[in-house]
Amino acid sequence: MKKRGIWLLLAVLALVLGSAMGAVAEEGVTDTVIHIGQWGPQTGPAAPWGAVARGTGVYFQMINEQGGIHGRKIEYHMFDDAYNPAKTKAGVKELQEGVGMFGWASGVGTACGLSVKDYLMERKIPWVGPAAGSLHWISPPQKYLFAVYPLYYSEAKILCKYAIKELGKKRIAIAYQNDDYGKNGVAGAEAELNKHGLKLVAAVPVELSDTDMKPHVMQLRKADADVVLLWAGPIHAIRIVGTARAMKFQPQWMSTSTCSDFPLMMAISKGLWQGVIVGNFGDLPDSQSPLMLEYKKAFDKYAAKGERWGVFFYAGFGFVEPMVEGLKRCGRDLTRERFVKEMEGIQNFQGIFGKISYSAYEPSDVFCRQGQDELFLTQCVEGGKSKKLTDWMTPD
Amino acid sequence: MTDFLQMIAGGIAVGSSYALMGLAMVIIYKTSEVVNFAQGEMALLSIFLTYMVLEFHGFPYYVAFPAALLFAVFLGCFLEFAVLRRAKEPNILGMIIITIGLEMILMGFVSWKFGADPKTMPFPMSPYSSVTLGEVFVSGLEVLTFIVALTVMVILFLFFRYSKLGVAMKATQQNQVAARLMGIRTKRILMITWGISSLVGCLAGLLIAPTTMQPYMMWDPMLKGFAAAVLGGMTSLPGSVFGAYMIGLIENLFGGYISIEFKSVVAFAIIVLVLCIKPSGLFARHYVKKV
Repeated sequence: MKKRGIWLLLAVLALVLGSAMGAVAEEGVTDTVIHIGQWGPQTGPAAPWGAVARGTGVYFQMINEQGGIHGRKIEYHMFDDAYNPAKTKAGVKELQEGVGMFGWASGVGTACGLSVKDYLMERKIPWVGPAAGSLHWISPPQKYLFAVYPLYYSEAKILCKYAIKELGKKRIAIAYQNDDYGKNGVAGAEAELNKHGLKLVAAVPVELSDTDMKPHVMQLRKADADVVLLWAGPIHAIRIVGTARAMKFQPQWMSTSTCSDFPLMMAISKGLWQGVIVGNFGDLPDSQSPLMLEYKKAFDKYAAKGERWGVFFYAGFGFVEPMVEGLKRCGRDLTRERFVKEMEGIQNFQGIFGKISYSAYEPSDVFCRQGQDELFLTQCVEGGKSKKLTDWMTPD
Repeated sequence: MTDFLQMIAGGIAVGSSYALMGLAMVIIYKTSEVVNFAQGEMALLSIFLTYMVLEFHGFPYYVAFPAALLFAVFLGCFLEFAVLRRAKEPNILGMIIITIGLEMILMGFVSWKFGADPKTMPFPMSPYSSVTLGEVFVSGLEVLTFIVALTVMVILFLFFRYSKLGVAMKATQQNQVAARLMGIRTKRILMITWGISSLVGCLAGLLIAPTTMQPYMMWDPMLKGFAAAVLGGMTSLPGSVFGAYMIGLIENLFGGYISIEFKSVVAFAIIVLVLCIKPSGLFARHYVKKV
């Protein structure tokens, strides 16, 4: 009887102490390490965007080399989801429940992100800087999800505003990828055009499996568009421009930040990308700003052989800069709640992207979790160089 | 009217590349009844190696392209000899699974070696220069693809009908044991089949690559080619070409007049319909084996 009593006491003690210990040590944080995860397509149709996840890896390596964050090194767990939401979800669950991540950084793809959003939010796991400008991240806002990427919606508004006001164009059309990414662009363009009493002259959906763009271009040509917004992936965008060139249809092309890697776009389009106007969310590849130079140095030192210093690669730095800032502000006392509080205090943070600010969580304020709202426009000129057309712009 | 003609021209143009892939798949199926899902990726490897020698080693076109075709033949023969022939107790399903495995290995190799960034193949002709026929635009590359597809079809048709090797291939498909008894070295025939099929696939790839190149580029043409071959009857060469042009035309007309959103899937819906009515495809002759 006495023996059983001792065992019972021990069991109760273990339970109490165990839960108390749990409250002290946050999941994914030890004395020396912070575990952070990210998914990114290294294979499959969206593989060019996989550079984001590799960029983040180099950024974390640079931070670790500089001593880490308050004595803790970042242990980075990246996996290839091939742009397949089912794989994203499986991989995230595996890492979260197997290793235990403190939080998640960036992650390419709206659909991929959506497949794990509820999972992460229900478990109160912070997620900073999804690499997609979707409205889904902030509408409704989530306490633990901090968006960085300017909204595709805002980007379409800014491009339309520029087309109407600066270029004096009135017949604007859009070719959009038939998913959330493309539809956000359509919504933004419609909203801006409405303000000026205009309507889209054509909205042509592009399916991911489409390879022949003639039917799309025919519709754009029939609508007699003088500006066409390309809200598709780089390859589809180039195919549309090329097919249009072959069909002697040459409007002013405009596209999103996802197609803003001019050297790449010029190389694969054999020069056809020249003249296209795009939105940019961060510094240009040849920027001489001290921060960009520092990142470039890290790239030279840590990036794998054959890696290219392109927009997507260093966007992997930019998307997680606010996360690192939040971690630094926490000091040694790193918990998820503290991290969220510190993130909310970030105001006008300037890294290699535009200014980033968050505010206290307010379920009715969608912008309390949208970090960046500004973009600037550039035009692709000879040799894949960028010509800056505007300063930072925000949608009205 | 111009729109209609443009859609027809577009349909024929896109059908040509499907036709080449369809032909490549039919050749293997004709002799071994194996659907080769690695068809696209076999071409992928050849064209990326061609890209490498053109872009980085400065080889001229007239060396690089024939070399690519030769390499494709070698690769096809090699895969048959080194992988498929080694399968123990081979059955058709097992062989198909092996081709899926090969597909993954080849794509993985290309992704690893060349990276995922899209590229374009240097080519003597710009894929975006166009020829005007009245009000209808067709790109020069599309005209070339059309000519190549038809030429390959005619050559293959004649080859299977009149050449000794072609007849041996047909015999191998219909009855391997009897073929062997007649003195046909069926294993060698299978190897040559893979070589020829790989060559045709490589031609398709070389004509697609000037527009865009990426490790994923051959999957869709392969699926469309496969669909075309199924539509035409997996054993019929003219059938697969006809099927390919049907798919191209249906996609373009449907996209132009009804719904651009469902343009890519409508072809598959029609295939299901055709197969319900005529399960062996539109052109295939059905061999009934007597027991």
